[in-house]
Amino acid sequence: MIPLVRRFLSRIGTAAIVLFGVSILIFFIARVIPGDPARIALGPSATSEQVEKLRAELRLDEPIWTQYAHFLNGLFQGDLGISLYTNRPVTTDIAQFLPATLELVIVAGVMMIAFGLPLGILSARYRGRFADGAIRIISLLGVSAPSFVWAVILMLLFAFFLPLFPIAGRLSDHLEVARVTGFLLVDTLLAGDFRSFRDAAWHLVLPAFALALSGIGQAARLTRSNMVETYDKPYIEMAHCYGFSERRIATRYAFRPSLIPSLTIIGLDFAAMLGNAFLVEAIFAWPGLSRYGVAVILRKDLNAIVGTVLIISATFLIMNILVDLLVSVINPKIRYGSRN
Amino acid sequence: MKLFKSAAVAAFAVFVLSGTALHAGGVLRLDEVAVGELDPSKASDYADSILMFNVYDTLVIPRQGGPGHVPHLAESWEGSGETFTFRLRDDVKFQSGNMLTAEDVVFTFDRMKHFGQGLSYLFTNVESATADGSSTVTFHLSEPYSPFIASLVRLPIIDKELVMANLGEGEGEMGDWGQAFLSANGAGTGAYRVVSHNPQEETVMEKNADYFLGVPDAAPDTVRLRYGLEAATVRTLIERGEHDIASQWLPPEVIKALAESGAQLLTEAGTGAFYVKMNTTKAPLDDVHCRQALAHAFDYDVAVKLISVTDDVSQGSPSTGAIPVGMFGANPVGKELTRDMGAAREHLSQCRYDPSEINLEISWIAEVPLEERFALLMQANFAELGIKSEIRKIPWALFTEEVSTPESTPNISQIFVTAVTGDPDTLLFGMYHSSSVGTWQSPEYLNDAETDRLLEAGRTAADEAGREVAYSDLNRRLMELAPSIYGYDRQSVFAASNRFRVPALSDPAHAFGLDTMGFAFRLMEEVE
Repeated sequence: MIPLVRRFLSRIGTAAIVLFGVSILIFFIARVIPGDPARIALGPSATSEQVEKLRAELRLDEPIWTQYAHFLNGLFQGDLGISLYTNRPVTTDIAQFLPATLELVIVAGVMMIAFGLPLGILSARYRGRFADGAIRIISLLGVSAPSFVWAVILMLLFAFFLPLFPIAGRLSDHLEVARVTGFLLVDTLLAGDFRSFRDAAWHLVLPAFALALSGIGQAARLTRSNMVETYDKPYIEMAHCYGFSERRIATRYAFRPSLIPSLTIIGLDFAAMLGNAFLVEAIFAWPGLSRYGVAVILRKDLNAIVGTVLIISATFLIMNILVDLLVSVINPKIRYGSRN
Repeated sequence: MKLFKSAAVAAFAVFVLSGTALHAGGVLRLDEVAVGELDPSKASDYADSILMFNVYDTLVIPRQGGPGHVPHLAESWEGSGETFTFRLRDDVKFQSGNMLTAEDVVFTFDRMKHFGQGLSYLFTNVESATADGSSTVTFHLSEPYSPFIASLVRLPIIDKELVMANLGEGEGEMGDWGQAFLSANGAGTGAYRVVSHNPQEETVMEKNADYFLGVPDAAPDTVRLRYGLEAATVRTLIERGEHDIASQWLPPEVIKALAESGAQLLTEAGTGAFYVKMNTTKAPLDDVHCRQALAHAFDYDVAVKLISVTDDVSQGSPSTGAIPVGMFGANPVGKELTRDMGAAREHLSQCRYDPSEINLEISWIAEVPLEERFALLMQANFAELGIKSEIRKIPWALFTEEVSTPESTPNISQIFVTAVTGDPDTLLFGMYHSSSVGTWQSPEYLNDAETDRLLEAGRTAADEAGREVAYSDLNRRLMELAPSIYGYDRQSVFAASNRFRVPALSDPAHAFGLDTMGFAFRLMEEVE
């Protein structure tokens, strides 16, 4: 079997086992968080009888293993139960909120690559000079301040004092786009509505940039340090002796070996952003899954907690597999490593 | 290359300028805490109520600017005690075009009883509703219940025909009773119809041109009710002219900053209060003198200052007793509670516990940061009596679990309570009747036969005079027993742009004695 395919199948198998483990863990952990989900869901005015009735409907009065078996049965039929938070099927909620977060995270991921890697290359290329110092300070700022701080700062600077960008939501109030995929950038293009596309893209800039800043800093720093190390290698010196241009040496000989750790970090960051986007989503009123996830945890909405965690875990695992495959493609040593 | 760069910069500038949001016209934008529950049989929170009072109508509504109720979908009603009969208006159409009939009222009542969620407990004493022809409906109660008429403001009438045509899967003939349909669609007679609904993002509504009372031209054409906006976001939106009414949950500092920037402040008062609840089953607060000592040592003036927004507007007014001013049995303005350290020391001397050995647990709800300030205030106040205390932050979910037993209930808890129908019964019965202990409303675990008797008298008295007497006596009794410190009468404050006039939230002559009713959009007036 081709090594790449074998590696892919092996990772899929591992991911399935991990996902099963996560489902058990989160199912049990969600049930030991303090608070009665039925009481929280029904609100402060509900009577004890109402609470007991809902507990029975949710099977909370049954043994926990019976509850888990019921949950697994539903899961295999694509039914994650009803959310007590929104009173809708959890699958409906996830289908509605996931595209908003994915779109945000994908754009943030693109920004991480588009800004993080070139900044790292520039920094390494001009090591010890002004550009290097400036980029390192910017990277450090990006890494050290959490996303929500950047979100507030960006909002104040570019939405309030300098009102260039919208403050909240995914689309201006006066625009409407028929939902097809839930990804507004895609749906607007499918509808041929470029005005809405532009508006949706404009709404994405600040939240995505706030979310990406930490990753940009991380990618830039990592790329720089790896490239600086690579620049000291004899084959780079040889390239200089051959008289290759600086650009060619930087992009072709120094950057490629440095790309693997950066790519791994970007992949992990990308997946982590799914869960970490909460505060950015809250500040920019972004109707996404992260915000939903935190809301359902606070309300101890068991079905929704399990559903959200499973989706985020699955995305994390898929990203890991993709990064793994990409790294294998870039580096043959890794691809054939298992054979040796 | 230079040409390419210039073109890119120009394109970027055009993109920036054209991307800037446009100001909406005839659109009211407001926000509330997520989620917005659209199904009126499950509505209980503030956002749910805003939706309910605009998409649906009720048989009666509170009288504007005064006490009592007036017919709304009903033309008239008669009855008392255990039977109430309503004659419906014959000119009311649902938004679907179906005419309102008595069958719709019966269906609505049965649906609410079936789910047993939201505010259905208000109808515990109602055994059935029956239709007599198309325009007469009768409610049969198991026992006399004076607040029944007031409870009807929480029974929004649903379009039976529309729901029956959209039943989802479920057990029995009624399937899911239209749950799936009504969680995403409106089926009411209200002045506003639902255009789109995302329970975590926003609900968009537009005027219902066929509303039976008509909707004035000045009322907003479109309403966007947004959910879960952060304080910083709301502030920026209002300052940029992209938001109209902020929720009451903004920190006082943000409301003040908005007011200083020219925002108007809207208020809603008279149906709730802030209570500091003392666990009467655990030492030392099982001694009434100890409780009285704390109640007298509490600095009521500073408490009100802690919640003031501007010199003129505050999120509360001084309390006069256990019942907020304006309700049956309340003490009048002029009899505000004040700190009295002399009386506090006198009561403490009669307490059977040694103050130096007391260490109180003062809890505050993690989701309500304001309560931490009151916890610190109490700690300082009680320290002056020589009583030590520890402050404990506790998440709401954990709090509701802890109060389920008297042993795990903190010595002192802080709760904001609102009468969901505007009637004192819905405020007080759940807090102080011995049958209601063990809920978030009743961490006092009060068990007093006289209090029970007066609460029952208040809900069964045949007329308003009888209720006034019962609740006045109850107020006196609760002041004697001091199961709670009656912090202040609550007033909701909303920072708002000046684009709309909202008489129901700015002029007492137009106010409703019911939380959220002031958000009837049809009564708002655009001034731009």
